[in-house]
Amino acid sequence: MKIWTLQKKRVGDWMAALRAAGKEVLAPCEADGLLRFRPIDDPSAIAVRPGPCPFPFKEWLFPPHQVLFSYQFEGGKVNLREEEVLVNDQVGLFLRPCDAAAIKILDTVFLSDPPDGFYQLRRSHLTIVTLGCRQAVPSCFCPAVGLSPTSLEGSDLFLWEEDDRFLVYGVSEKGDRLVQVSPDLFEPGEGPEPDQLPSPLPFMERKEPLTNVGQKLQGLFESDLWQEVGRTCLGCGICAYLCPTCHCFDIVDESDAYSGIRCRNWDCCAFPLFTLHASGHNPRPDQPSRYRQRVLHKFAYFLQTFQQNMCVGCGRCSLFCPVGMDIYQIVLQLTGRCLV
Amino acid sequence: MKVRNDYLPDLVRIVAMTDETVDLRTLRLVFEDPSLRDRFSFLPGQFGQYSVFGVGEAVFTIASSPTRKGYIECSFKLMGKVTTALRDLEVGDLIGFRGPYGNGFPVETLKGRDLLIIGGGVGMAPLKSLIEFCLDNRRDFGEVTILNGARTVADLLYKKEMEEWGQQEGVRVIQTVDPGGETPEWRGKVGLIPNVLNELAPKPDGKFVVVCGPPIMIKFSLQVLDRLGFSPDRVITTMENKMKCGLGKCGRCNIGPVYVCKDGPVFTAADLARLPRDY
Repeated sequence: MKIWTLQKKRVGDWMAALRAAGKEVLAPCEADGLLRFRPIDDPSAIAVRPGPCPFPFKEWLFPPHQVLFSYQFEGGKVNLREEEVLVNDQVGLFLRPCDAAAIKILDTVFLSDPPDGFYQLRRSHLTIVTLGCRQAVPSCFCPAVGLSPTSLEGSDLFLWEEDDRFLVYGVSEKGDRLVQVSPDLFEPGEGPEPDQLPSPLPFMERKEPLTNVGQKLQGLFESDLWQEVGRTCLGCGICAYLCPTCHCFDIVDESDAYSGIRCRNWDCCAFPLFTLHASGHNPRPDQPSRYRQRVLHKFAYFLQTFQQNMCVGCGRCSLFCPVGMDIYQIVLQLTGRCLV
Repeated sequence: MKVRNDYLPDLVRIVAMTDETVDLRTLRLVFEDPSLRDRFSFLPGQFGQYSVFGVGEAVFTIASSPTRKGYIECSFKLMGKVTTALRDLEVGDLIGFRGPYGNGFPVETLKGRDLLIIGGGVGMAPLKSLIEFCLDNRRDFGEVTILNGARTVADLLYKKEMEEWGQQEGVRVIQTVDPGGETPEWRGKVGLIPNVLNELAPKPDGKFVVVCGPPIMIKFSLQVLDRLGFSPDRVITTMENKMKCGLGKCGRCNIGPVYVCKDGPVFTAADLARLPRDY
């Protein structure tokens, strides 16, 4: 792995060079009253805080609203028009390691057969520059799902803050090419292996393993424990919307008398309508059964299908849940390791 | 840039419609693209996403048999938004179709076997495809027994087809309606399908059973078949779950690790026994 150093004060120059090379730089900044990834020119607008950016990067690969095609009615006929997708080369700057790992999980869903054309195109144009975590926040639990504040999973370049500079680790060729855009800004450097960096890992409290709990959780499918843990859920859906790996969607038409679109919108398994049949039958008729699906999909079913958990331990769902449901504690409770 | 887009439907034209019951209609559909009319192939038990432009998509099985080329059929019950809009359409109107999706019935496994086909209500639709497939390949299959039920005499569908099938050699059709659903002229049986099945007490004898209907009917029919000694890997059923993409992505039709749209909708009773009761 190649290692360079980049002076912090030169980040703006690098961003300008990337832009000059036709790339759009997306970094966490304040937008719509939230911290989220937005195309950014001015490095001083970048807002990196400890822990992950509240709104995950997911929206740039899998937008909340995607037009699939449009149509026009014309005298008893209907003309379909394919949706053209415009994508620049994009650089995702200052994702956290959990978010980069989450993109690999989205890849397994959207790039597996049959691949999703919209996702595939955006993904092929994206390079991921991750910033390792020098500090964790109390909701973080990446070590519990086999990741760490310095894991490289999903990253193309990995940055580590050191005083007034970054150590820059070249993880993939795609990442190295970003350095080659303005090689004079990067000096060859030396540094420990990323897992030897002084990360907050030893001090993180939430690291009871949540891997390999699939069978145990599935064995609890009929258990009353779900009533206990699920009945506080309001079904608001914030957990799914802020989750960097949740990917369920709805497909709807929006139209008037002359034309319309068919689009896909983010959806959430906590919503009562999610599984409601037209007949009125609902396989998941209450919040506890919906919450059970959420937990089992992340820690049991996905593991069976794709040999990995569908959780990266970013902690957003716990941090932003209006009733304080904490998936880490709940899985521990379900697997008999905690009585909170 | 244009991308691979599996959501873009093909246009199909309604060329005929049959009102099976007061709220159940069968549409015969022909692809607008002439090359698709012959090229389109599928298995009995596979399904499609049918769309009314401006309203949305709904999932129905393909009710015709792949042996009958040039058209496809679907039967739908007036139920929700899309089916209401579909009923407003007329012969000559265009709708969207994408598919076929799902695994379909294991017709190769069924070859050479006697078949017991049990269908309740609109659950007969996928079975119609299978029955026509068997009858069009008559020498490949053994005896076919069809047990068909509905709530009332007026709710029985495929009346003309049932009569034709019943006249074929090696085919037996038994019809039943729920108690209270009979008319003075009714000559069939009266009773819920699981009860009639119990009374008929068919012997397993290497038969394969295919069951399709409302969840409650499937549940009790599987129990009766189990009691009658049918092996769960020879009892086949189809599941329905709400679906959006049909491609194993949208996360809506999951039963445990299984996607009904991709891994199903056809499962054996043995498969179902391994899945969580999430349907």
